[in-house]
Amino acid sequence: MTLPLDLNTLNARGRWPPPDGPRVAIVGSRRPSPYGEAVAEQLAADLARAGVVVVSGLALGCDAAAHRGALVGGGVTVAVMGTGVDIVYPAAHFRLAEEIVAAGGALVSQFPDGTSPRRRNFPARNVTLAALSDVVVVVEAVQGSGALITAEAALDLHKEVMAVPGSIFSPLSVGTHALIRDGAGLVQNARDVLAALGVGREVLDDPLGAPGRLGFRLPAERDGILIHLSDVLAVSTAELARKLHLPVAEVLSRLTSLELDGAVRRHGAGYVRALRSGKD
Amino acid sequence: MLATVDSCVLAGLEARRVEVQADSGNGETRFFLVGMAATSVKEARERVRSAIKNSGLDFPRKRLTVNLAPAEIRKEGSGLDLPIAIAIALAEVGKRAPARSAFLGELALDGAVRHVDGVLVAARCLKRVGFDRVFVPAADASEAALIDGLEVIPCEHLAGVFAHLLGEAQITPLPFTEIAPDPTTGALEHDLAEVHGQEEARRAIEVAAAGGHHLLLSGPPGSGKTMLARCLPGILPPLELAEAFEVAQVRSLLGDLVPGRPLDWTRPFRTPHHGVSMAGLIGGGSGFAMPGEISRANHGVLFLDELAEFQAPVLQALRQPLETGRVTITRSGGAVTYPARFTLVAATNPCPCGWLGDPVRTCRCTQAVVDGYQRRLSGPLLDRIDLQVGVRRVPLVELAAEPRGEASHVVRERVLAARARQQARQECLNAQLKPSRLRHLAAMEPGAKRTLERWSEQKGLTARGFHRAWRVARTAADLEGSELIADHHVLEALGYRLHDVAA
Repeated sequence: MTLPLDLNTLNARGRWPPPDGPRVAIVGSRRPSPYGEAVAEQLAADLARAGVVVVSGLALGCDAAAHRGALVGGGVTVAVMGTGVDIVYPAAHFRLAEEIVAAGGALVSQFPDGTSPRRRNFPARNVTLAALSDVVVVVEAVQGSGALITAEAALDLHKEVMAVPGSIFSPLSVGTHALIRDGAGLVQNARDVLAALGVGREVLDDPLGAPGRLGFRLPAERDGILIHLSDVLAVSTAELARKLHLPVAEVLSRLTSLELDGAVRRHGAGYVRALRSGKD
Repeated sequence: MLATVDSCVLAGLEARRVEVQADSGNGETRFFLVGMAATSVKEARERVRSAIKNSGLDFPRKRLTVNLAPAEIRKEGSGLDLPIAIAIALAEVGKRAPARSAFLGELALDGAVRHVDGVLVAARCLKRVGFDRVFVPAADASEAALIDGLEVIPCEHLAGVFAHLLGEAQITPLPFTEIAPDPTTGALEHDLAEVHGQEEARRAIEVAAAGGHHLLLSGPPGSGKTMLARCLPGILPPLELAEAFEVAQVRSLLGDLVPGRPLDWTRPFRTPHHGVSMAGLIGGGSGFAMPGEISRANHGVLFLDELAEFQAPVLQALRQPLETGRVTITRSGGAVTYPARFTLVAATNPCPCGWLGDPVRTCRCTQAVVDGYQRRLSGPLLDRIDLQVGVRRVPLVELAAEPRGEASHVVRERVLAARARQQARQECLNAQLKPSRLRHLAAMEPGAKRTLERWSEQKGLTARGFHRAWRVARTAADLEGSELIADHHVLEALGYRLHDVAA
């Protein structure tokens, strides 16, 4: 596959080209599960600490989490946009875009200034995203998602594609599991990515502990409710009440108490376990 | 000769006394009708002329003037037909109308007295201003007979009424109907026993019924939101006498009463379609406003399915009635106030396609579309809905395996007990407690108070959201029979909310 354009002709805001160093694209669903969002953020933070430039697409969900993670990790991140670099899409990411530039990163685009969001431009943007990166990591993707277009482009460009596994019950992991089956590298933590880049393990000084391989701290067990909660799929209060043989009013008040402590989160019409990074 | 007959016109749930004066004298044969009569009353001239002629009475072949006093009130409707005809006929024979008697009814050309709307309202008001006897259409006499101390003369035909007035043939008055609440509730149309699973929504409905709280159900299509909503009237107590009377008056105005059974003890359940207009939902019309769906739902349940599809201004107009239990509408004829104390049950999909958050099907809406959809629901209206719960779709094959819950009559016992506690303590339901009264009547354990404050700090709760959780916690405590609000009551109350947005 040939690139439709010369990478040197990209429009940019901020520091472009970025400082030398490996570049890793972290992409995924615009509407990830709490798990996917946490993975994207944590992975990006760890990679940024190791001096990796995190590349993503400034979209909602995984993309934004990756950019945010890179900023938390004190690294440089590049947003490859499907609009002109003067138009932030979605508009809700205006501040994120400013922070990316302020932290020494860049907003880049193959489209001229003033290009508003158009459906047909985003697949082309995905190809550029792949071209700019050494490794593409897909966090969560339903079948046919834009993140898979990026992965395919990366393969055509002979770049390494890696994917994060998830629950076999989650539609959001169908795409990533398919990638793994087809030979994509398995990502359990930042070290897996660094190994693919050929960067030594010693870069990451902070050893990652079990059981959250990415360094998540699981909330302390209480009431026996947390065992029944997942960090991917929401479980409804009614289901929990049935499993625990408790009145629904009592389960609801216990869940709210856990929510108050930050151990669980609302998601859709139910609850998920809240993942907290062990590093903050 | 001159004759004067009393009648009334309706202005909302009030009636205004109208004096019908008929005077015939020498001059050109003409019929004048004066006194700010609307078109519907002006047409009375033609109906009255034919009705008198066809009843075997004489229509004066003189210059005839009928005046409707006081002249500054605009008169509408066909109820003045009968009093006009009686006034003319009495003037012709030189008789007087009986004292403290009022007439109301529409006339057919053959002299038959036909139904008019609002007889119950008219009878109540006439009694209050000192009338002893009303002549009303026979079809509506059962409404008037609900008023104690009023002699009700059912009128079938103009000729019969006139003969009665001349003392030639008596019409038997309809006796006062003693009203006794009917505690027997028939088989419920929708019983909670038929609802599989959905424990959280069931509990929310119970809390809503116990404390009079408004309820929002959010869930994908086919998750049973409508079914759940329809179960609510079945766990509410039957209407009390005063409530049934208020319900009957609104129905009387709209001509909606069941003939022969004016009082109904089951709570109203209204389901206006989302295309409903402002006038249809809130009330409106020309002259004096007529009651809308919210007043028809008075003392019952107003179910708004597909809440996000309703026009935004229509939903905004719900705010005042939700707060005060009444609605005041001003039209050209003046302002009228209707009761509108209902329990709002709203249902919505989580997003336009309906599948956001569904475990099986994937939602195809873009985030911007979802945000826009949920924004339409947010704000001041949502702020007034105390209970918000998500309803999950149970696949059809698994439905039968879901546990069945308690039947409505079991839940109702608990609701009645909780309501009795509230009545004894504060003489109103918890949902109607203002913040100042909450402080006195809904004491929290220190731990419960700390939890509420902690949550409010963490989630940025508005003052309204704070009091909302407090009121719901009060109801949870009442359902448990506890006078003090404990920690778990507050925590449960805080759980009835859909999003993590500050609410």
